Amino acid sequence: MQNNILLAVAILLPAFSAALCYFLKNEKARVGIVLITAVALFAVAGGFVKAVFNAGDAVIIGLDHNSPIDLGLIIKLLDLALFAYIFYVGIKLKKPLVMVLVLLQVIPTFIFENFMGVKEPETAFVIDRLSLIMIMLVSVIGPIITIFATGYMKEHEHHQHLKVSKQPRFFMVMFIFLSAMNGLVMTNNIMWMYFFWEITSVCSFLLISHDGTEIAIKNGLRALYLNMLGGVGFIIGIICIYAAKGTLALDEISSIVNSSGLTGYFAVGIALLCLAGFTKSAQFPFQSWLLGAMVAPTPVSALLHSSTMVKAGVYLIVRLSPSYGGTILGKAVATIGAFTFLAASAIAISQSNAKKVLAYSTIANLGLIVACAGLGSHMAIGAAMLLMIFHAVSKGLLFLCVGTVEQGIGSREIEDMQGLMSRMPFTTVIMVIGMISMLMPPFGVLITKWLAIEAATSTPLVLIFIVLGSALTVAFWSKWIGTVLTMSYKKKHNMENLSISIKFALSIMCLFVFAVSIGISPIYSNFIYPQLEAFGISHSFELVSNGLGIAINGASDTVMGGFQSIPFFILLLAVIALIPFLMKKVKPASIRAPYLCGDNVADDLSGIEFIGPTDKIEKVEVKNYYLTEIFGEDKLTLAVNLIAIAVILVMFGVVI
Amino acid sequence: MEMFLKIVLIVIFAPILGGFLDGIDRRISARMQNRLGPPLLQPFYDVIKLFGKESIAVNQTQIAYAFGHLVFAIAALVMLLLGQDLLMLIFILAFSGIFLIVGASSVNSPYSKIGAQREIMQMMAYEPIIVLMTVGVFLITKSFMVSSIFEFDKPLIYYMPLLFIAFLFVLTIKLRKSPFDFSTSHHGHQELIKGVTTEFSGTQLALIEMTHWYDLVLLLGMVSLFFAKPIWVGIIIALVAYFLEIVIDNISARVTWRWMLKLSWVFGLGAALTNIIWLYITLK
Repeated sequence: MQNNILLAVAILLPAFSAALCYFLKNEKARVGIVLITAVALFAVAGGFVKAVFNAGDAVIIGLDHNSPIDLGLIIKLLDLALFAYIFYVGIKLKKPLVMVLVLLQVIPTFIFENFMGVKEPETAFVIDRLSLIMIMLVSVIGPIITIFATGYMKEHEHHQHLKVSKQPRFFMVMFIFLSAMNGLVMTNNIMWMYFFWEITSVCSFLLISHDGTEIAIKNGLRALYLNMLGGVGFIIGIICIYAAKGTLALDEISSIVNSSGLTGYFAVGIALLCLAGFTKSAQFPFQSWLLGAMVAPTPVSALLHSSTMVKAGVYLIVRLSPSYGGTILGKAVATIGAFTFLAASAIAISQSNAKKVLAYSTIANLGLIVACAGLGSHMAIGAAMLLMIFHAVSKGLLFLCVGTVEQGIGSREIEDMQGLMSRMPFTTVIMVIGMISMLMPPFGVLITKWLAIEAATSTPLVLIFIVLGSALTVAFWSKWIGTVLTMSYKKKHNMENLSISIKFALSIMCLFVFAVSIGISPIYSNFIYPQLEAFGISHSFELVSNGLGIAINGASDTVMGGFQSIPFFILLLAVIALIPFLMKKVKPASIRAPYLCGDNVADDLSGIEFIGPTDKIEKVEVKNYYLTEIFGEDKLTLAVNLIAIAVILVMFGVVI
Repeated sequence: MEMFLKIVLIVIFAPILGGFLDGIDRRISARMQNRLGPPLLQPFYDVIKLFGKESIAVNQTQIAYAFGHLVFAIAALVMLLLGQDLLMLIFILAFSGIFLIVGASSVNSPYSKIGAQREIMQMMAYEPIIVLMTVGVFLITKSFMVSSIFEFDKPLIYYMPLLFIAFLFVLTIKLRKSPFDFSTSHHGHQELIKGVTTEFSGTQLALIEMTHWYDLVLLLGMVSLFFAKPIWVGIIIALVAYFLEIVIDNISARVTWRWMLKLSWVFGLGAALTNIIWLYITLK
């Protein structure tokens, strides 16, 4: 009973807060609602952790047939209402394509639900550890980002000079989204999951087009098109699977292992669901909507387009992985993921817009998760789940930082961030920690990359893509870090003025970045290892946690590889602790201007100007390499899209 | 306790060895250029002198980067000698490299910044090759641990000659020898001044110099892995490889970074991939 309440709160509370935000237009009230909802959702996440650990494997909530409320019927009706709304959007914006995509989903859904005698699964909700990980990402990171948004949106609207605030609508959609995400990861009925999936697509559309500019609406529509296309794949996939195996229960579907090789309707259905996952997780060739989504206000980018919504796609792919991982279909899926990782990392090098770099890096990391899910080995799925956690935390933080910087300096160009350290030291330090956590050991993201490489050794093509991709990753992060840390001598750093909500969100997310990476060993052994056991994946190599880090054990428990991350954290923290001491040792008297091409202009210690050959004062301007002639978006996008389409066709080819 | 002692010994003796090798390098290079060259212990004199210099800085963070550069290079070497995971070792080594890159771009000097950009290019060029080398090691020994190489009954070179050649390529880039010495240079009067190290001086420069010694020992140690068993053969080959590097350094001119990227991705990576594919086929 207690679990039922917890479940109801997780889904209904954000929905209720959404309504409150919409109807109470008062700003103070809104901040109050956001704070209360945040605390309540933290408690819900904590409650679920306790419930799942008490239950052992998973919390299972069945349908109560005596209940006066028919949950199935309600969701069917809401689904119809949702489709009607999207259709209305299509009419209002005069976009026939939207209407066509709606019809392509409504007609199969209607026929399927009414004429095929569908048997709804008895277990409506199954919350296992994979769901639990997602609940924690949604219900912990989500509210923190909404708190950040209270400060951010005020400033944002201040810049826009709006007469009537659009914030009530904004926060309503944000909360509806949280509600839908919680539903999506907890339900065991794939039709319900499909319903929640569609809600997130619509939320994404509404939030991208929030500012109402022409480009915002255009990009919002693109997100809608591509996600609806995924929705079409989703519903047809469900029908295929039902036709083959007669079940809608996710746990049953994912545990079906075809001994006779993966072919027929079931395989096609799984491939279609993976396709839906690709669209939601913006894998090539569906990446364009995520890049366009960067026009949205930053909290949207942070919440939907990096931490949570895009994780819904990989969640589905990882969830189904036991049924196809390691098969030919799995290898095709892994190839698409790994190729996306490589291509997105390559294009990221050529980008000078900070948000776009983050977007490409998000696409790349989602690709890596997809690759691991496709490989399907014990180690690979373990790596995929770990990366879902680490990426969500680090990328959420980075987006918040870029948003803060953008409001501080009025630009999101990396070149404009030269010397950010002197202007916004607080944000810069946190941002650098975020970036370091994306690419360097002993932080988690790198550890999963390392695991992915070690897991991919049996699949050469996937391996090579990942190896090349990870070398490219270093390039775009390190030049960005170098740019923001550029500084000249300053006696004292003045902290920038930030609103309390922004400061709180940045600090706590930064703390999380450290916490999840330092705690990799307990996280692995408590959340991920039991899930891998529950999936029942056979393995010759096994990923285990050994107290100070994680290790890969081969047959008869010989260590095949491993990394003791704790000693390295101690080393890193020691270096960090020494920095203030080392900095203090530098005396103002020993500061000199940097060496330029001529005489330095007197008193200019930062080295911005120098006296050129004709006694004229010249400005120093140094920019990063972007290698656009090799990695430019316009050079690569068409080619990589074509390759990705080809691989997807191969994926369908092998199952038909 | 025994491990702790080992670590202390590594930290103390590796730079002594590295410094000697550096001194030998200078002597041999000088002879090749018809000069007499400095005394063998000159690198040590240089570093001791640098430590004693008045500390001059452009900003107060440089010293921290130099320090991080050193600490993580030591960590990587310790991992090698304790027989840890080879792939992770490479990432730790990259971390050390990032410290130098960020340190060099933290000042406003164009020379230093361009040096840092070029250093990034170098990393992009060699990183995939060394990662593939570790994959080769895994395919042969079924383990990523360095210790497994010593337990394996045959020298790796039998299985991965092309990867060895590719690794020599990496060695030239990593040691910043000609033709790949464009992120820094031995002489301060070229187009790049001193590249990444332009704005480092005194203690900071001494730390970077010492990191170079640790790196040298680490890289030559990795060369010897190919021939491990018996280990002295590995050491002799590593010294021969080092001599080869000095010869290459003295007979070639600097290429542009575009050339380096092409050369290393086409030939280095090509050789490494060929070797990997062949391993897949023969070991299946």
